[in-house]
Amino acid sequence: MPILHWKTTQKEYRLPFEGAVTVAELLRKQGVPFPAPCGGKGTCGKCAVVLEGAVSAPNEAEKKAGCRLACQALLLGETWGSPLREDAPFAHVEGTDYRPDTPLQGISAAVDIGTTTIAVKVFDADGSPVGDASALNPQGVYAADVIGRIDAALKGHGEALQSAVIGEIQALLQQAGGGKEIASLVVTGNTAMLYLLTGRSPASIATFPFRSETLFGETWELLGKPAYLPPCMNAFVGADITCALLASGMCEKEETALLCDVGTNGEIALWKDGKLYVTSTAAGPAFEGAEVSHGCGYIPGAVDRLWVANGKLHAHTVGEKPAIGICGSGLLDAAACLLELEELDETGAMDGDFLPIAGDVTLTQKDIRALQLAKAAIAAGMEILLARAGVKEQEVVAVYLAGGFGTHLSPESAVKIGLLPRSFLGKIIPLGNAALQGACMLLGDSASEETCRSLAASAIHVELGGSADFNDAFVEHMFF
Amino acid sequence: MILQDISLQLQAGKAKLVKELVQSAIDRGLAPEVILNDGLLAGMDVIGKKFKEGTIFVPEVLVAARAMNMGAALLKPLLVKEGIPSAGKVCIGTVKGDLHDIGKNLVKMMLESKGLEVIDLGTDVSAEDFVETAIAENCKVICCSALLTTTMDVMGEVVSLAVEKGIRRQVKIMVGGAPVTEEFCKQIGADAYTEDAASAADLALSFCQA
Repeated sequence: MPILHWKTTQKEYRLPFEGAVTVAELLRKQGVPFPAPCGGKGTCGKCAVVLEGAVSAPNEAEKKAGCRLACQALLLGETWGSPLREDAPFAHVEGTDYRPDTPLQGISAAVDIGTTTIAVKVFDADGSPVGDASALNPQGVYAADVIGRIDAALKGHGEALQSAVIGEIQALLQQAGGGKEIASLVVTGNTAMLYLLTGRSPASIATFPFRSETLFGETWELLGKPAYLPPCMNAFVGADITCALLASGMCEKEETALLCDVGTNGEIALWKDGKLYVTSTAAGPAFEGAEVSHGCGYIPGAVDRLWVANGKLHAHTVGEKPAIGICGSGLLDAAACLLELEELDETGAMDGDFLPIAGDVTLTQKDIRALQLAKAAIAAGMEILLARAGVKEQEVVAVYLAGGFGTHLSPESAVKIGLLPRSFLGKIIPLGNAALQGACMLLGDSASEETCRSLAASAIHVELGGSADFNDAFVEHMFF
Repeated sequence: MILQDISLQLQAGKAKLVKELVQSAIDRGLAPEVILNDGLLAGMDVIGKKFKEGTIFVPEVLVAARAMNMGAALLKPLLVKEGIPSAGKVCIGTVKGDLHDIGKNLVKMMLESKGLEVIDLGTDVSAEDFVETAIAENCKVICCSALLTTTMDVMGEVVSLAVEKGIRRQVKIMVGGAPVTEEFCKQIGADAYTEDAASAADLALSFCQA
């Protein structure tokens, strides 16, 4: 049987195969973590690989991408390969400095299952932190976004998705806990992630009217241990947001505050006079680097900051490595700087087909359009949520940003391109991984559990899909 | 000259001006068909091309389309009176389980800008609704839009139902939306996938003229 010798910076694999399979199919079958943002359609170019040996000739999609793609290249015999770029697991535990002040029921772990990244933090019985760990969510080999994952589960991959995520959690617990046996866990994530973790069919949250048959908020058995799954608010505002709200502490104050987790799916929560309003808006994957020609995650070599000095564009990359791509925060800065330099006009149009950013990294007209759609979806979602709650944007006293992108973005750039209203400047509080922080706070704390339960139960859901005012706001926010 | 003005003002999105110019063209005795084709539709053609190239974006298309509709409203009764037929009839909708309609609305506007008569079925449209409308209204093209991977499969149901109801030969089925690809289109046996609204309208027109 021929073998694919697959080498990553972390590990080497020997993967035997039979018949004609693509590199991506084989990696997925063997459970090797590998990103496939477009789900193997050959359109995103993000599964670029280096291959040597018996493989098919490059097809149209690969010629267009200018490199071999794991989802397109067919294995014909013995082959040696590795990913062209690797998303090195970064510290996804920023902002999680919480320490339980009461003794725990034995060694405990908090887990955040993000659509992109899984992060874990382990505490000793006395509440002192033991360690943390994070890795890409291995379900990413099926699809990058939540809807793609739900679709994969409905097409018979439910069990594989479940065992992939449980396997990764087990490995991370081992890593973070130094092999110590864990007595209990709190596992948070968005609604779909909890569906897939517990092996439930996500049929009811796959299509309109998106009714979640369960909102969790219960103890489930994971790896033979009790795992508390915090409550979700609805199909698209999940336990991760409940936990982020807990971490922000904003619902314990009198002031009007907003919390936003900007990702492929942007979740927004508004607290006003003891009432919680929530909504979600589909921003698309531009902020995560997908659908952007040189887009990438927050990885070494990613352009993460840009500024203008002496009429010229200057770039900073993660780890000060040579520029290999641009991540969400860099994309925001790029648009803001290009507007300032008048390389982009307020409609988003550029002269020519692309603009140089740093090194070989460029932005095309299509990239800017993807950014415009993404920022308009968030800005419009925020506007409608505020309007339905009868709150003027100036009345918002604090704006909490959860998640990696929200933590790294420049508030000035976000305001300049119209992702956030100008009146939010000076009120923005980055939270880091607030979902994980909230999960840590829930470890053995029944009062926090009660807070989450009442928040989730009382949340007022503002539906944006199919509403004319949202569509109008969406179009209005497309320009810069 | 006035036709060129109509086209230019339409491209600039000046709805009120377009309406005034169309009225004065009618008053001058220009044929309504000429005003429509060489004024309004010519202007929308430029908009469609620029949108395809990426030099203009959704908001510009929407204001131009609004200007076109203001002008076309004046011409409609005259065109009906003279018995000028539309370029063809098309029905369009976002498939069942999906409420996203901005892309669908863009395609609708582009179809109208080609002089096609469009029946908009809205969102959350079942395969039955698509096919029954196509039969009842004698549509030459069915356009299906989906933004969710989980709802795309309804497009396959539309194709099967069209076969079952015996209209597959008379009707072309076009598919589009973010998760839709050329390959998916072939897989479900639909007739065409296009990447953008302007290309969709060009193709729908050619199907209607065939």
